[in-house]
Amino acid sequence: MNEQMNGKVSKEHDGTRTFRVEMLTRVEGEGRFHLEVKDGQVRKAILHIFEPPRFFEGFLVGRSLFEVPDITARICGICPVTYQMSSTRALEAILGITPSTGIRKLRRLMYCAEWIESHALHIFLLHAPDFLGYASALEMARDHRGLVETALRMKKVGNSLLEAIGARAIHPVSVRVGGFTKPPSPRRLQALLPELEWGLEAAQETVTITNSLPMPEFQQPYVFVALDGGADYPLEWGEQIAVSGRDPVPLGEFEKVFIEEQVDRSPAFHCRLPDGTPYLTGPMARLNLFADRLHPRAQEALERTGLTLPVLNPYRSIVVRAVELVHAFAEAVDLVREYTPPEPPYFEAPLRAGEGFGATEAPRGLQYQRYRVNDAGIVQEARIVPPTSQNQPRIEADLAGLGPELLAMSQEEATLRCEQLIRAYDPCISCATHFLKLDIREVED
Amino acid sequence: MTASPLYSGTQVSRVETPAAQGATELGVDPTEKDARGGRPRLGVFKFASCSGCQGVLLSCEDELLALADALEILYFPEASSHLQEEGPFDLALVEGSISAPEHLEQIQKIRARSKTLVTIGACATSGGIQALRNFGNLDDFVHRVYPRPEFIAALATSTAVAEHVKVDYELRGCPISKRQLLELITAILLGRRPEIRNESLCLGCKRYGYVCVTVAHGLPCLGPVTMNGCGALCPSVGRGCYGCFGPKEGANTEAMAQRMLQLGMSKDDVRNAFRFITGYAQAFREESARHE
Amino acid sequence: MTAPESSAAPLYRLEEAGLALLLEGLRRDGYRLVGPVVRDGAIRLQRIEGISDLPRGFVDEQAPGTYRLRSSGNGRLFACRPGPQSWKRHLFPPREPVVQLKRHGDSLEWRRPVVEDPPMAFIGVLPCDLAAIRIQDRVWMEGPFQETRYVARRRNTFIVAVNCLEPGQLCFCASMGTGPKAGQGFDVCLTELDGAFFLEVGSERGEAAVASLPLREASEEERRRLQESLKQARLRMGRTLETRGLGGTLFGNIEHPRWEEVAKRCLTCGNCTHVCPTCFCLNVRETGTLADGRQDRERFWDSCFSLDHSMIHGGYFRHTPKQRYRQWLTHKLGAWPSQFGTVGCTGCGRCIAWCPVGIDITEEATAIRKTSRGHVRMPQPRSAPVRAGDPLVPTPAQVKGVRQETPDTTTLWVEPTGPFHWKPGQFNMLSIPGVGDVPISISGQEGSGILHTIRAVGKVTRALTSLQPGALLGIRGPFGTSWPLRAVRGRIVTVVAGGIGLAPLRGAIRVMAAHPRHYPWVRLIYGARTPADLLYPEELELWRQLLHMEVEVTVDRATPDWTGNVGVVTKLLRAGRKVRPDGVYLVCGPEIMMMVVLEELRAAGVPEEHIYLSLERNMKCGAGFCGRCQKGPFFLCKDGPVFRYDRISFVFRHAGL
Repeated sequence: MNEQMNGKVSKEHDGTRTFRVEMLTRVEGEGRFHLEVKDGQVRKAILHIFEPPRFFEGFLVGRSLFEVPDITARICGICPVTYQMSSTRALEAILGITPSTGIRKLRRLMYCAEWIESHALHIFLLHAPDFLGYASALEMARDHRGLVETALRMKKVGNSLLEAIGARAIHPVSVRVGGFTKPPSPRRLQALLPELEWGLEAAQETVTITNSLPMPEFQQPYVFVALDGGADYPLEWGEQIAVSGRDPVPLGEFEKVFIEEQVDRSPAFHCRLPDGTPYLTGPMARLNLFADRLHPRAQEALERTGLTLPVLNPYRSIVVRAVELVHAFAEAVDLVREYTPPEPPYFEAPLRAGEGFGATEAPRGLQYQRYRVNDAGIVQEARIVPPTSQNQPRIEADLAGLGPELLAMSQEEATLRCEQLIRAYDPCISCATHFLKLDIREVED
Repeated sequence: MTASPLYSGTQVSRVETPAAQGATELGVDPTEKDARGGRPRLGVFKFASCSGCQGVLLSCEDELLALADALEILYFPEASSHLQEEGPFDLALVEGSISAPEHLEQIQKIRARSKTLVTIGACATSGGIQALRNFGNLDDFVHRVYPRPEFIAALATSTAVAEHVKVDYELRGCPISKRQLLELITAILLGRRPEIRNESLCLGCKRYGYVCVTVAHGLPCLGPVTMNGCGALCPSVGRGCYGCFGPKEGANTEAMAQRMLQLGMSKDDVRNAFRFITGYAQAFREESARHE
Repeated sequence: MTAPESSAAPLYRLEEAGLALLLEGLRRDGYRLVGPVVRDGAIRLQRIEGISDLPRGFVDEQAPGTYRLRSSGNGRLFACRPGPQSWKRHLFPPREPVVQLKRHGDSLEWRRPVVEDPPMAFIGVLPCDLAAIRIQDRVWMEGPFQETRYVARRRNTFIVAVNCLEPGQLCFCASMGTGPKAGQGFDVCLTELDGAFFLEVGSERGEAAVASLPLREASEEERRRLQESLKQARLRMGRTLETRGLGGTLFGNIEHPRWEEVAKRCLTCGNCTHVCPTCFCLNVRETGTLADGRQDRERFWDSCFSLDHSMIHGGYFRHTPKQRYRQWLTHKLGAWPSQFGTVGCTGCGRCIAWCPVGIDITEEATAIRKTSRGHVRMPQPRSAPVRAGDPLVPTPAQVKGVRQETPDTTTLWVEPTGPFHWKPGQFNMLSIPGVGDVPISISGQEGSGILHTIRAVGKVTRALTSLQPGALLGIRGPFGTSWPLRAVRGRIVTVVAGGIGLAPLRGAIRVMAAHPRHYPWVRLIYGARTPADLLYPEELELWRQLLHMEVEVTVDRATPDWTGNVGVVTKLLRAGRKVRPDGVYLVCGPEIMMMVVLEELRAAGVPEEHIYLSLERNMKCGAGFCGRCQKGPFFLCKDGPVFRYDRISFVFRHAGL
């Protein structure tokens, strides 16, 4: 059934086997990968991004800080809330605004909504077809219509919740520096409760389903990085960043610890730790670092899976994502039940010059932003680090780690395995592009 | 039926009218057949963009499976690994702006393979937010963002698809509206005129019964010069429209800008308001230039 | 419309507690209460539970382009002037399904969804808005067609009016004769004065509603105070508008430079039309999608400021802002009296406040009046008997046969359901489910089947011309006026047709061809682009052979085998013989052709009243509801499409009207 997939046939000469996919599918944005193994040694493992650059950090300069959340949302159509919120947090820090608990809770609810939407999409529509042997969820729907319908319904719950809070699910419009332009009415949110409660049950079921998928064995020595949200599971708020086996990093130190370095002969930025170690951010990192902060319902779900922590098999991130889906639904139900519109809906403060940092957890991992503004509130400098650029070295390292065992497989099987591994990271390529490497090298072979 | 001397009850030879295909026999689902006897073939393509407009297609949760039944999806990398890039496509949805050298050739190929080409979203219809670089010098942007600019291959401008190939329909918005997307796909396949109105956002805002933020709160709002379609979302949450659907036909941006200045915006503010998500669309581009 | 203030109608005093009882009683009687509520910084008209939802202590400040609510400093419930919404959104909702299609096996059935909302009680209808409701009543209820859903709602609506003692800066109801005292049409009318309410009853329904209230007859002093307050209110109008002869002045100044000047300020956003309590233009769209498989229709508010409103054959007849603003103002203040016997403006001031750039209707109208360059006589309104049925609901019909007339034109032979009576010149709206509907003139009848000759120019006409025998479609109609076949009996009749314009004339020509005694001398002059574009060639030949008929045909561009005339129809018209001023002329064709024919006839001294034209426009409803087919004071769908030229000559020649 995959005869028309775009994996290229291996060219075996002088003992070199090459695995390539010219167009990565079921990921957000456009990229390809290239893996070369010679004499059992991985010589090249490259994830190419061929999204064009969009220069966000360039044209943010000169704009009013109040325009920033609407601009940064456009970095990514899958996780716009993350970008809006990291900007908002950074800019609030500059202005000295501390949002009220009510505003923070509503933001958290918005994150839950985005996680629901994004995780449901990724688990079923993007990743599950790999495990079950389909080219797409739409194809999968022929044999598993109920499953796909459930996924779409869960996704819709997330979108409806986003629409209720942000007026639209993609690039919401109610988020502003200081809070919300207008919070939703309790009635509007409560109307979604039955679907959220249904979703919570469906998410539990999702954990069971994903946990029963055939899982390739694979393991790497990971360093996990996630936002430390205090008592809460990492989501929309945090002043420091947790790194497994190392000291936590205050937000202000982010760029000193997570170093963007240029890869040899490439214009790429790859984030690594100062000693050059790649690290992993995203569901696996969050779970491994903060499983104790999961909602009780999600903890139960996790226990039922029988997974032992830390989870080190990236293919299993589909199960982890399902556990997080339970968390997002459960927390959303709680937040909606106790919701009262924040009053005031937003805080204002006099403009002043300064520098601020903001980090939040996108469904696919840590997202960091830094701004410097002048006393008129005009952006002087912007720095944006998306999750996928942080994971990119880790993905390449995984591919390299996968290399030797691919040699025993057919070309098609091997290519699919690589893709499945890449997709386990839920890479979001468009959002990476505004600063991620543009790999303009010709693939040599 | 009575026989008539002039009007035979049998089919007469006629001029082929391809646009009406699928609408010829009522009671038959027109999507069940096309010129080749198969389902209409869909391709979804992406240039410089955030993928949000494709995301809208994927967010048609209630309709997605029905659409997948009605259409043969030949190329949609974000959703399917089954790729037939060669087409031919009855309907091509194109997201993103033309912004890198290789795009120039790619869009020509897509056009050549597609019967109906629809651009979706602010990027594809106006150049998108990344067209903000068109107002500056590309090198400056490249240097500001990339330490090794020699590796960056980008066109000097980010432009709308229609500047490069003929576009049959466009869906505005950042992102596009789900309702408009479904309407357009349906209309193209049924042979009806898509009900995508090029009217001011205000008309939608008033139909919904929202209170005008300019008149009642003194907030600047681009609604009067912006094309309707989003559902007047910004006014619904108490803020002014920021024009993500781009200019409506005949947008009187000069009178709009005068009003914005009256409301207390500075010249810079007015320039930036027009120079935003759809800032490279002609009417907005020209207005922002007046406030340099 | 205002009732005389000295009327000795009973006046009662009601305390606030009594008002609460009135509302409770209405609720108990099953009414849904709708009233003014403060929301998002303005007064909105929405569902209320009782007087506690009313905007107590609020008053508005209005100026062109500005509206602010502030504290009134008193406890009055009804101190606010009109806000951004009007009652029309409850009687004529912004969007509403109009037709649902049901399929029963091989047959189609269109249905109008029935109004199932509970009856409404409008609480606090200001006099200007009461007048607005009565104006809309004329549009939707007073013929020749009725908008059935409006009628259903309107009949069930209880109106509690409130006299206006504090008109605002933008108010000019006194000029328009609609306030500050409520005219007819209320069930109960209140005046809020000195902490109490003075109540009048306007209907039996109102009588019943107040029967058990603790009412006390107002004292002479109270009555006098109330009269005095209303008198003061009348003097405190922020604006005035002189309406005498205004329609004739506006239509006499169609090319006045003021229109260009206002167009520079106008954003063509259409806010004025959507806040206006009387504007009624609408459009209809197909709502079904592939995904839901439905083929229903809804109607929604449209505006003469939207380009789409004037779309015809893919072009637009009102593309400039000047033409659109002029259409709105001339319609509202000029055309309305001819259409509905009342001005379309109530003096509520909404269009001034809610115009984002504060364009002032009174200022614009006054500017034109003051520098007027001409005046025309406006036609009198004509009343028509109300016809039964819902004009928006198609009835099924079946294609019996098709005939390709020319490469782009096809005649459909359509069998309607049941008897169908039509007159030559009238048109039908032909519907294709899921695609749309279009006006198509009736070009004849064969047996019980009706003929429609259709040129494929747009999506719906393409779909129609692709129909095969046996296909089902929907018909609404017949609509419009017909050729004056009775009036022209015994006269010398010249028919001038161009292109597809022969189709609406064919029915009339057939009648004249068949009755030489009534129509002893008929001359047909017909022009088409090329010989291949000539309609009905066999029939032209049949007519040519008739002794009382003369048939002359010409083409713009000849082909090698063409031996006939080449050139425009006017060349034939004056060729051979003099254009007779005593003859009668029936003309239909492209507008440009009609223009030159009219010029030719004028030059020959033919009086305008001897000329009949059939015009074409972008009808959407056929019933005078959608407003799209207006030409000056006329609706082409019900006042036309056939006009005696002298009635429309003052608007016909102006582009963009």
